[in-house]
This record gives sequence, structure tokens and C-alpha cells, in this order.
Amino acid sequence: MVVIKWISQVVVLILVVSGLLFFAAQAGSNLRAKNIETSWRFLSVKPGIQLGEGIDVNPSTGARALWVGMVNTIRVSAVGLILATILGTIIGVARLSKNWIVNKLSTTFIEIIRNVPLLVQILFWAVVIRTWSEVDFNLGPIHNWFMVSQKGIALPRIFPSTGFYQWMVVVLIGAYVGRRVYHQRETEREETGRETHALSTALGIVAVFAAVGLLIHPLFGFLGPIFTAIGDVLDAIPILVVQLLLSAAMVAAAGLWIKRFLDNLRTPAGLAKLTDDDIFRIIFAGFSALMGIVLVFVIWPGLSAWLIHSLRDFFHLLGDKFEWLRTGRPLDGERPRIVQTGRFPNFSTSGLVITKEFAALLFGVVLYTAAFIAEIVRAGILAVPKGQTEAAGALGLSRGLALRKVVLPQAMRVILPPMGNQYLNLVKNTSLAIAVGFADLVQVGQTLYNQTGRTLEVVAIWMGFYLGMSLLISVVVNFFNVRLRIVER
Amino acid sequence: MDEKREQMDWVAAVEVAGEKPPEVPPHGPVVWARENLFSSVGSGILTAAGLLVALVFFKAMLGYIFGADRKWDAVATNLRLYFTQAYPDDQYVRVWVAVGIALALTGLSAAIWRASGRVNGYKLGGWSFGVAGGLLTMLVLSPFSWGARLIYLILALVFVGTGQYLRMSHPKIEVPALSVVVGVLAVLVGSLWVVPYGRHTFVNGEVQPPRPGTVAMTTKLPWTVMLLVMVVAYFVGKAVRDKVSPGLSKGLLVAGWMLLVPFDYFVILRDPALDYGQVFRVDVPIFLFFAVVGSALLWWLSDPERGEIGRVVAGLMVIGAGVFWLAAAFGLSVRQIIRIDLLLLSVVAVAAPTFTGEKAVRRRFILGWLILLALVNYMAMMVNTDSTVEVPGSFPLGGFSLTLLVATSVLLMSFPIGLILALGRTSKMPIFRLLSTTYIEVIRGVPLITILIFFKIILNLFLPDGMSLGNEMSAILGYALFSAAYLAENVRGGLQSIRKGQYEAANALGMSTAQTTSFIVLPQALRAVVPPLVGGVIATFKETSLLFIIGLFDFLRIGYVVVGGQTAFVGSQRENLLFVAFIYWIITFSISRSSVQLEKKLGLGER
Repeated sequence: MVVIKWISQVVVLILVVSGLLFFAAQAGSNLRAKNIETSWRFLSVKPGIQLGEGIDVNPSTGARALWVGMVNTIRVSAVGLILATILGTIIGVARLSKNWIVNKLSTTFIEIIRNVPLLVQILFWAVVIRTWSEVDFNLGPIHNWFMVSQKGIALPRIFPSTGFYQWMVVVLIGAYVGRRVYHQRETEREETGRETHALSTALGIVAVFAAVGLLIHPLFGFLGPIFTAIGDVLDAIPILVVQLLLSAAMVAAAGLWIKRFLDNLRTPAGLAKLTDDDIFRIIFAGFSALMGIVLVFVIWPGLSAWLIHSLRDFFHLLGDKFEWLRTGRPLDGERPRIVQTGRFPNFSTSGLVITKEFAALLFGVVLYTAAFIAEIVRAGILAVPKGQTEAAGALGLSRGLALRKVVLPQAMRVILPPMGNQYLNLVKNTSLAIAVGFADLVQVGQTLYNQTGRTLEVVAIWMGFYLGMSLLISVVVNFFNVRLRIVER
Repeated sequence: MDEKREQMDWVAAVEVAGEKPPEVPPHGPVVWARENLFSSVGSGILTAAGLLVALVFFKAMLGYIFGADRKWDAVATNLRLYFTQAYPDDQYVRVWVAVGIALALTGLSAAIWRASGRVNGYKLGGWSFGVAGGLLTMLVLSPFSWGARLIYLILALVFVGTGQYLRMSHPKIEVPALSVVVGVLAVLVGSLWVVPYGRHTFVNGEVQPPRPGTVAMTTKLPWTVMLLVMVVAYFVGKAVRDKVSPGLSKGLLVAGWMLLVPFDYFVILRDPALDYGQVFRVDVPIFLFFAVVGSALLWWLSDPERGEIGRVVAGLMVIGAGVFWLAAAFGLSVRQIIRIDLLLLSVVAVAAPTFTGEKAVRRRFILGWLILLALVNYMAMMVNTDSTVEVPGSFPLGGFSLTLLVATSVLLMSFPIGLILALGRTSKMPIFRLLSTTYIEVIRGVPLITILIFFKIILNLFLPDGMSLGNEMSAILGYALFSAAYLAENVRGGLQSIRKGQYEAANALGMSTAQTTSFIVLPQALRAVVPPLVGGVIATFKETSLLFIIGLFDFLRIGYVVVGGQTAFVGSQRENLLFVAFIYWIITFSISRSSVQLEKKLGLGER
């Protein structure tokens, strides 16, 4: 029986692999017939495209253009995540409210938003924004502070200035000290039962460090040469060493995995008998490590160089940011202004200007995701048995304390996994930016392949980026999931 | 979740034990308001704030919908464009036939499955009050003329009166929910004949100024017929349901629903031009050959005495069919249908040991094979015959019909793929598990739009020479492969909820793995995951709007680009988007509501 199973599996595997190879060969010959070859050269030449917005609207290379798109995607995702979480939680709690009108309002909101396609909503917001007033020299609602027009929304901006990095070092030291004090006080409270105000003390310490840092931050410029030196050292490492280190890391990871796997199977009576499935897993772990090494040395030798050079550039950048006795302010602010450079008045580059595309996309994804998050929050709170609240009350906890210390921690356990899914959806949904012309990764990629014809490569980059983002979010959510898990003995 | 369920079980247990929940004394509106709106100071503030939000929102919304400068004409004039794009007028009866078949199936299904929901008078009265409240809100907040307000006021009073009458005099009478629905539909359809909605027409590409009066005959007559078809189908179903075995009638209806979309599209809406000489010379003989030879082979294979030799023969058949397909790549030219039939036969042959048994069982198996073969051959013939419907562009459908076609075909196609993926991911065979897990996780990690763009632009690069897929078909294929991964995850949840004892019991009865999976595990697993599956259906339907981005003329594109771009209706995009959103909303909302009913009927969480 085992033999038949393995034969059928191997046959299917061969079929799948040969099918993929067949399609790849077909694509190759079709591409050659059309005189198109796959090549990544478009990443390093000037694409000649102008982006709507981002850290660099006139990118010098294709790779830079895609990077700007990625940053834009991350930007809108990050803002969206925060806003959707806040709004969703409020609405979810409101749906449990005993107040009839609040309850019905949030239900209406959820039922409308959830059942209309996100793309329709984004387009609707874009059209709504188009009907807002034009930019003129006394634009409101609050002139030069908060201005709304069909070109977007302008707000004051706070940004890291010259002394920011030195100051951050002081704040980080403060955070470390605060953390130590927090843990110490918490332990003390648990041992003695006295209120020790752990959180407020810790926050106070950080605040003191931040305030003092405003005065002494120029002193930390001595870190600059150190960072530069680290960058130089990294640059001096031969590529072969990096490749060997990467390979060693992969072998070590596979070995660790196999060891833990075998440890799990070990019973007091000795190692359990390995099934063919277990043996396959072990072989597969080894095989993956081997494939990793092949990737590092043969398939993509440039990877190690790219990694080490990025790291070097990062440290050199840090070195530039720290300068001995640089006395600038750590943070600075600017108000939005209206200027007239062309025929029409427009927002100047000072201030935080949320463009109309960004706003339409943001409104769409935030409201849409908030509706789903609200349902998750509601289900999570309902999943906590009523006895828990009652028991907390019986112990003399106030309502707020019971909610904070008893109900929410348990609800979080139910809320977090589906919440992670929603975060993933939000990031993926930002790809609808293409419909309103916001320069996210997909939109930039499309412009790029229209220009260069490199569709296959661009699609590969898209998929790699989104898979990476998915992986990142799942890792973060899993981390909190593990921390929230009930400790079983 | 388990804790919640336990709690509910406990409540149910108390109710069964006969301890009724305490009687709630009836209370008036003042008590109600004090308890639900002003129970504390904070609650009072919340109420005021909520009221303000509601007031602003509804006032803005209604002012917008009924405002003087809004262009709802854009929607009213283009309804046909919205739903069927440029389907030719002289063939339009085909659309109605296609809709009619769907509605007839709906009526029959309602009868056969005994849609038994009932509404009591108290609840009906409540709904009536709700409608009255809506009307009153509208007449207060909307920019209506005083005459219109009077009409709304009278209507609202009628509803208040009806509600009060039902609540006071007949709170206990029970009406079938079905007749309420049909009644509402009848009122709506009837209003087409009576109420002067105005006549908006589009003649030879020119927008005609709206004329007063009721809607055009080409609208109101078909809708009346459609309603009648549904009602008649219901009564036919009611008449025959006791004369036919429920298994047969339900099976036929399920098959009918599965076939509805391909049949409606390929046979009715495309109007293929069949060459009957060719049909009788080629297609019928091929069918007869496979019918006779295949039946004999399957009869032999499904014999319980057959043993290992049957498996060997079936395995050889699969290999033969595979070789036959590969041979095509090396220039062996055989009619495609022969290859398809051979593959079908070999797959059914592999399944034969699962259906072995007494003669009656085997006879039913052969009958199933014949029906399957006939369907596949018929549909293949129809699909391969060119369409005769002349439309601009290459695809006969557009607008809502395209959206519906894509959504339903994606659901139909993704279901088997998703099932296989889910079984693969939970299988004990590591390579299958690895392949399905990789597939599912990669697909779930990327946005749908990248997959759609990939399939639209690059798919044809991957296909062999001479093969190509239209934009619509490649979008359907890509979307189906995408949603299969999500469906697989939902089904996996169900598969993991099956207790070990079920497998052991099936094993003890001597069932094979295939039998255990198809008769024991899957029915239970699928029943357990009805809510997420319905969620998946809704998501699939909503996300068909992404076809807009890859340039297909789906519902959203018709509204946003085509209608919004007509010279007569420049600047009507908000109206069009609201209309599109409204139609999407109606459908998804009713699906999610009916899924609640379905869950109750299946007894989810109660068994």
C-alpha cells in the first residue's frame, strides 16, 4: 500500500513539474517568436516615467520606481491599518451597546459597507472628492492649518529634522531604562500587593530622557564615525565569506528543525517509529537547505553581494546622519500653504498633503476593513463567557478594570487570528489603487511594463512583494498570538 | 467558540427542561425609550450624538437622491445597457428565456425543498411600521414638493394602519414567508403597469427625452411573465413533489442548477449555429460508441467480484487516455471530443469500485455514466459551435450579465478544484500536502488583481500554438484558480472538524479511502462549513468588480465608464456608482440573510 501511495505521489509530482516546465518552455518560445526576452535590465535603466506621488517622483531607474511604489503601498497600508483598527474597534463595541440608536447605527454601517464591493466604494470616494471645492487662496475649513479641496487634504506636518537621530539614541536609552524600571515595579507589585504605578513611572522616565535629550543630543554625534567604520568593515568582507555564512545559517536552521522534530517524537520509551511521512519531512528539510545553498552559490550569486551592500549603505547612511556636535532640532513642523506656480493655485510642498488618490483609496480601505474588524471585535467580546465578567465583579474589580484585565485579554485571543487576516486583506486591497491612479506598486508596475514590455518580470516582483508582506504580517500576528496563548502546564 | 457553544447548549437545556424565561411585561414607548435610549447620562449623550449623525447622514443622502439636479435619467435610460450591454434587440427574447429558466428552477426548488418559513402577524405588523417609518423619514428629510409629501404621508398612514391592524387583531396568524415575498414582488411588478415611472428610451443611440406614463411594454410585459413563470413552476413542483421520490427530484434540481449557467450561456444566449448534417454524421456516432462500449466496460468493472484485475484495467485506461492526450502534441490528430470522452471514461472507470454493489446500484451507476456522457458531448458540441449573436466586441454578454456569468462560473469551477486542494492539504501523503499547501499559501498571499492581470496579459504566452483564450475566459480561469485556494481553506476547516471516530467507524465497515471520503467525511465536513462557504460566495461575487480594472465590460465598467461617459449624461458618475452599489448590495445582503435561514435549517451548532 505504501509503495502504491508513493508511486502515485511521485507520478503526480512529475506531472506537475513537467506541466510547469512545458508551460515555461512554451512561454520561452512564444516570447522569442515575438522577439521579447526576459531580462531584468529594465530595472537599472531610466524608465522615463513620472510618478503621481511618493519619495521620488522622477525615479532614475526602474528598480527605484518600483521601490517608490512599494513605499507608497506600505505608507497607505500602515495608515490604513491603524485607522481601520481604531474605527473598527469603536464600531464593534458600539454594536454591542445597549443604546438602541448607537447599536442600530453601527449595524447599518456594517451592513452597508460590508456588502458593497470595495472597488465601487473607492471609485465613489474618488468621485465625491472630485466634487469638493477648488483650491483658492482662502481655502478652509481652517485656513493654513486644515484645508480640504478637490486636490486633496492639507495638514500641518511634523518631520524628523537634522538632530533627530542623535536625539533618538537618547530616547532609546530612556526606553530601555523605562522598561527595566517597569518590570522591576511590576514584580514588586506582584510580590507585595502595593500599587507601584509601574506604567506611569516608566513613561515618566522616557519623557525625562526625551526632554534632557533635547539639550544633550549633539554629544551623541560621536556615533557617526563608528557607524561609518562598521560600514567600511562590512564592505571589506569578501563575498565568498557572506555566501558561506548564509549557507551555514541555512544548514544550521535545517539541522535545528530536524532536531526539534525528532525531540517531539521522542517518548520516554525511546524514539517513536518514524512513518514514511516523517522521513519525508526530514528529507525535505535537508533538501530545502540544499536548495538554499544552490540558490546562494549558483542561481543567484548576486544575492549575497546585494545583501552586504545594502547593509553597508545602511550603516554609511547612519554615519552621515550622525555628525559631531550637530545642533539642529530633532523634530520640526511646517504648515501647509497655498502657492501659485502655474495657472492655478495649488498646495505647496510644505505641510502634509494627502492627495486625492491617496484619500480615496484610504477612505475606501479603512471603512471597508473597519466593517469587518467591527464584526471580529464583536464576536471576540461575545465569546468571553459572561461568568468571567461576573466573577471579576465578585472579586471587587470595577467595570473598567474588569474589561481591561479580564474580558479584553480573553477576547484578544479570539480576535487576533482573524484580525491578522483582515490586515493581510487590507494590504492586498491597496492594490486597487490602480483604479484611482494612486502610485502604488501595482500601478507603478503597470506603467513600467507598458513602457518596457517586461510584464512577466513585473508580475514576479508584485507577487514576491505581496508574499513578503503577507509573511511579515503573519509573523507579527503569530508572535502576539503565541504571547497571548493560555500558558498550559 | 466552544465556550460560547457550551453556553448556548446550557440555555437550550434550561428551555427544554420547561423553565420558561421570565415573561417580559409589555411596555409602552416611553418605558422603551427610557430603557434603550436614556438609561444613563452617558447613554443620553450617545443617543443625542447618534441621532445627530443619523439625521445628517440621511438628510444628505436623501437630499442627494431626490435633489433636483441629480441625473437618475442616466440609470433609467440605460437599464438595458447595464444588464446586458449591447445584446441585440431582435434576439432579446433569449435573455428572457434564460432568466425564465432560472426563475422556473427557483420556483420548483422552493416547492421541492418545502420552503417553510412562516411569518406571524405581529412581525408583519412590525415590518409595516418599519416601512411607514422609512416613508415618514423620507418625507421629512427629502426636498420633496408638498404634493409628493402628501402622497408619502397617505402611504405612511396606510402602512401604520395595516401594522396596527395586524398587531392588534391578528398577532398570531401565520403567513408563509414565501407568499409575502411573492406578494411584494407582485406589487412591484404590478406597479409597472399602473405607476407613471416615465418612459426612458434610447433609440438608435440617441437619448429620447423622458415621456410621462408607465414604463415601456418591453419592460413590463416580460417581468409579468417572469413572475407568472416562477409562481406556476412553484405550483407544478407542489403538485409533483409527492409523486416523485425526493432523492430523484432533488438530485435533478441540483443538476439543473449546476447546468443552468453553461446551458443559459452556451446554448441560449450564444445561439450556436448547428450544422445538423455534421451532427448526425460525426457527433451522434461518437456518442453512441462511447455509450455502448463504456457501459459494457463499466458494468464489467463495477462487478463486486472483479477484484484487482479491475483496478489494473482502470489504471491502464487512465494511462492510455493520458498517452492519447500527449500524442496530440506530437501530431496525432483526433477529434478533441474523442480524447475528452476517453479521459472521462477512464476517470469514471477508476471510480467504479467505489460504486460497486447490487445490480440496481450498478444499473444506476451506468445510468449516471450515460447522463454524464450525453451532457459532456452535448455541451462540447455547443461550446465548439460559433455564436450567431451579433454584438460589438467579441463577447455576447456585458454588464450585469457578464458579472453574473463570471461569478457563477468561477464558483462552479473553483468548487472541485478547492475540494481537491483541501483534501490534498489534509492528506497523509506528504507530496500532495506539500503541493497543495504551497499552491494555497502562494495564491492567498497575492492580491486578486495581480492574478487577473497575469492571466489577461501573459496566459496566452504560456499556451501552445493555435490555442488562445478570450479575455473573459482567461479572467474566469484565473479567478477560479484564485478563489479555489480560499475555498480550500474553508473546506479544510470542515475536514479538520471531523472526529477520528468517524474514520475508524468507516474503516470498521470495510469502506475504502475513497468511499470514506466521499460518503462519510465530505458530507459532514461541507455541512459544517456552510457559513464560511456562503461568505466565500459573497466575496467572490463582490470581487467580480475587479474585472473593471482589466478592462472587461462588467457591471461596474458599464456604470462608471460607459454610462458615465455618454454625452447626454456627463457628470452622472455618482448616480451610476450608487446604482451599481445598490444592486451589489441587494444581492449580497439577501445571500447573507438567506444563509442565516439555511444554517437554521441545517441545524448548525445544534447537532
